[in-house]
This record gives sequence, structure tokens and C-alpha cells, in this order.
Amino acid sequence: MYVRYYMTSSPLTIGPRKTIEEARQLLQNYNFRHLPVVDESGCLLGMVTDRDLRSAYPSSVLKEDDRRHILARIQETPVSSIMSSDNAVLNEFSTLDDALLIFEKRSVGALPVIDGNGKVVGIFSSNDLLKAWRSLFGLGEKGSALITIEMQSDVRFLSRLVALLEELDVPFTRLVRTDGSGREPAMLYLRINTYNIRAVRKVIEKAGFKVHQPEFDPEIS
Amino acid sequence: MKTPPEIIVVHSARLLDHDTGGGDHPETADRLRCIERRLQSGSLAPHLHYVAPEPASHEALLAFHSESWLLRFEEEVLSGRSYIGHPDNQVCYESFDVALLSAGTGIKGVDLVEENPGRCVFCATRPPGHHAEPSMSYGFCFLNNCVIAARYWQSRYNRRRICVLDFDAHHGNGIQTAFEEDPETLYISIHEHPSFSYPGTGYAEETGMGPGKGTILNIPLTPGSSDQKVVAALDGVIREKLEQFRPEAMIIAAGFDGHRLDDMSGLNYSSALFSTLGERVGAWAANLCSGRVVSLLEGGYHLQSLAEGVETYLTGLRGK
Repeated sequence: MYVRYYMTSSPLTIGPRKTIEEARQLLQNYNFRHLPVVDESGCLLGMVTDRDLRSAYPSSVLKEDDRRHILARIQETPVSSIMSSDNAVLNEFSTLDDALLIFEKRSVGALPVIDGNGKVVGIFSSNDLLKAWRSLFGLGEKGSALITIEMQSDVRFLSRLVALLEELDVPFTRLVRTDGSGREPAMLYLRINTYNIRAVRKVIEKAGFKVHQPEFDPEIS
Repeated sequence: MKTPPEIIVVHSARLLDHDTGGGDHPETADRLRCIERRLQSGSLAPHLHYVAPEPASHEALLAFHSESWLLRFEEEVLSGRSYIGHPDNQVCYESFDVALLSAGTGIKGVDLVEENPGRCVFCATRPPGHHAEPSMSYGFCFLNNCVIAARYWQSRYNRRRICVLDFDAHHGNGIQTAFEEDPETLYISIHEHPSFSYPGTGYAEETGMGPGKGTILNIPLTPGSSDQKVVAALDGVIREKLEQFRPEAMIIAAGFDGHRLDDMSGLNYSSALFSTLGERVGAWAANLCSGRVVSLLEGGYHLQSLAEGVETYLTGLRGK
């Protein structure tokens, strides 16, 4: 659940006195969109993004003379003049939840991860967050299937179900419970590692649990 | 008028010897017994010819599987283990030999079709194969029969462009692994949506990688889907993809567990769909690759609908 397991470690960084053109080259060569700007000791000073760079470059509709003039200035302008310094950051103990809330609140695509001394140790993008959830939820894991069980009010519902699966020797790797307060009804999602879903369903239903079958209109959806 | 071809069933009683331990295991020898009874008592009976397979050669297996897996599989079986890797994959002392023979059915099928293209060849075999990975058994499968047959077709007869069409209710993850970076092969699979179904792979977004980009076509169907959606896919994206790819030979991973009575999937197919599938396969094979097509049994666990499905599929495939 910690971002440090899913971030890009030791990311590419740039010094503050490097030029805008050098930053552009770096991002282009490595196909990144976010570049932390750091001092000599590797501490975070700010962030430059491909968007910051794009707005620094002259518009293609400008007159040729004006364009050349601006381009010449860009060759000499340090990245520190266009970086954003008011950055949200993550640290080594930040969770995926922390990252999600920041991504939701501020429109940034990636966050620098710093250690206790302010040194940049990683970068964590919104795509990394998607990948983290994908792996936590077990999406695409070969040999697994998701079964949905309708929640019951019985207080020992979960312990009864888990005991049953252990007895059956059915390994399950994920268990997600929704409480019905959102748009999704109250359900229990179990990722089980077996092909023999028929046997699992039989035993589960015999023990009084209800396996949920979504009611799709087969010819429409 | 042209007489419809005879049907060659590649089969051996030895395939019944792979014992999955009884109990609740759905992949049983009764599956093949039921198919045989149904075929021999129905209208296809006078047109059936049975041919025995031979075990697949080590070389043929190595076209997909690793040497270390073959060793492990054989050793674990002979040491008396009851399953390999996961309790799904039940084995008995005979299982390694039977799996070699099962992989050999596809190879025999290829030889029979090459001898006489346009023949209707069906491999009534088990254990099934499409979940098997290069070094791992999955979902009742140990050796990937379809991939082994495809690689044999390429190396022995130099038919390079092979299409595997898989209508089993589950995605054939092992076939996708074999082909996803290979520009010479095409894998088309129609299956229950991986969010709900084993083995959890086969999303429409998986389309192949690197040089194999565009050679995987996954068609996931929501639970409850019935014939109409399959027919729409057959006559739409699948036909288009096949015409574009122009295979030199086709292999059909024929699984019958999408039938509405089969509770190993949530799909809702009728038996009649398998006849349509047979007709389309027969027509495509005739038009695109001079009748070079071999069908191999994969899943299908409701005995009566499995047997009925195979019979209607072969009736459709044979044509009028």
C-alpha cells in the first residue's frame, strides 16, 4: 500500500541552471513528461513538465523573426525560471491513498517522492497508481476468477465463508467488500485461484451463501 | 452434387486412462465416452472413421514447452503425486503418457488433412490443452495441444500462416502466450469476460505485442450472452480478420462449455450455435485455405450438452 513499492526509483533529474532546451531534450529522449529540478545534493527545488516547456516555446503562428528571437532566449534561460516550486510531494511512507487524494485534488500527472532530507528518491505517476491498483486487485492474474457473493446481515458472514474456503482448499488471493452505500450493491468479491468454479459454487451455495449472477440483457449489453 | 466428406475422429481408448481422481473434478473420461456414444448412435454414424493417434515426439513438444517442464511433469506423475502445481490439475500414474498421446492427436490430424485436404478431422481428446503454459499446467491442461499442432504444421509442412480459432467458454491463455509476439500466427478467441471468468485473461485490449501486434483478437462476452452475439462476431470482426490474415491452415480449439446447461461458465449458448460454428469454420477453411482445418476438443463439462454440441458442430462442419 506504500507508493515506494510502485514508484520509479532514482528518477532522471535536472539541475536548476540547465537550460529549457536541455530539459526538453531530456524529456523527449526518455519519453517522460515530468522532471524534478534538484540542487547539488539532490534535494527538490521544483518540477518542470512537458506542459511548462510547451508554453515556454514560441507559437508557430508568430512571425519568423520573433520566433527566432524567442528561441535564442530559450537557449539561455534556465529551467528554474519556468519550474513550479509549490509542489505537492510524497515521502517514503506515503500510501497509495495519499497519492490518490493528491491526484484527485490537484491536476498533476506525477509527484516527486522525497526522503527525510528532501532528497528526490523517486517519482510516482497517476499511471503508476493505476498499475498499483491493478496488481493489488489481481487483474489479469493467470489462473484466477472473480466470484461475487451477496452480502448477508449475519455478523459471522465473513468468518464462515473464509473457513469454508479453507476447508475446501480453495486458495483465494483478494477479498473486497462493498457496503451498498454507493451505486454498487452490497457484495463480496473474491478472487479465487481455481478453474473448478462449479465445485466452489456448489459448496458455497449449500452452506447458505448466494453467488450473485448479474442480470444482463444478453442480447443488448 | 458433391458428397459431403467423411468424418475422421482421432481418438484412442488410452485417452480415458488420465484419471482426475473422481470427486467433483469436471474433466473426466466420461466426457469422451459420452461423445463416442452420441456419435455412434446418431445420423453421422455411417460417415465416421476412427484413426488412432501416436504420442507427440519430444521435438514437437519442445516447439512450445520447456525441457524442464517436461521433466518435472513426467517425474511428478511417476512419483505418485495426485496433482501438479494446483489441485485443479489432478493426475494419475498414466497422465504423462496420456498427455503425450493427447498432444499427438493434433499432429495426427494435421497429417490426415495434409494427405487429403477438405477432410473433416476432429480430435476427440483429453486432457485439454489451451490453458497450458510453456512451463506450467493450468486449468486441467498440461500440454498445449493446439499450439503443438500449429508449430508442427509450420515446421513439417511449411504452412507458415496458421490461425487458431477458439470457441471454448474460457480464454486460451497458453495459446495467446505462444502467439502474442508472432506475426505468422493469428489467435481468435470468443470467451466469457475475464472479469468474471477463469483464467482472468483475454481482455479485448490484449491484441499482441511487438512484431505480433494485431495478431490476437479477443472477444470477451458478458455472462448471460447467447448465440446472437457469437454469430454477430463470426460474421463481423472474425470474418474480416480472417480474410485480412489469409491463413494457410486453421486449427479450431473446440470447447462446448458455453452451453447454457454447462455451469463451468455463465454463457448461455444453445446447441444449435455449435452447428453454425461448424458451418462457418467449414466455409472459411474451404475458401481461405483449401480445406486445411483440424478441430481439437478443449472444454465442455455438461456431458449431455457436450456430446450434443460435438455432434451438431460436426454436422455443421461437414456441410450439406
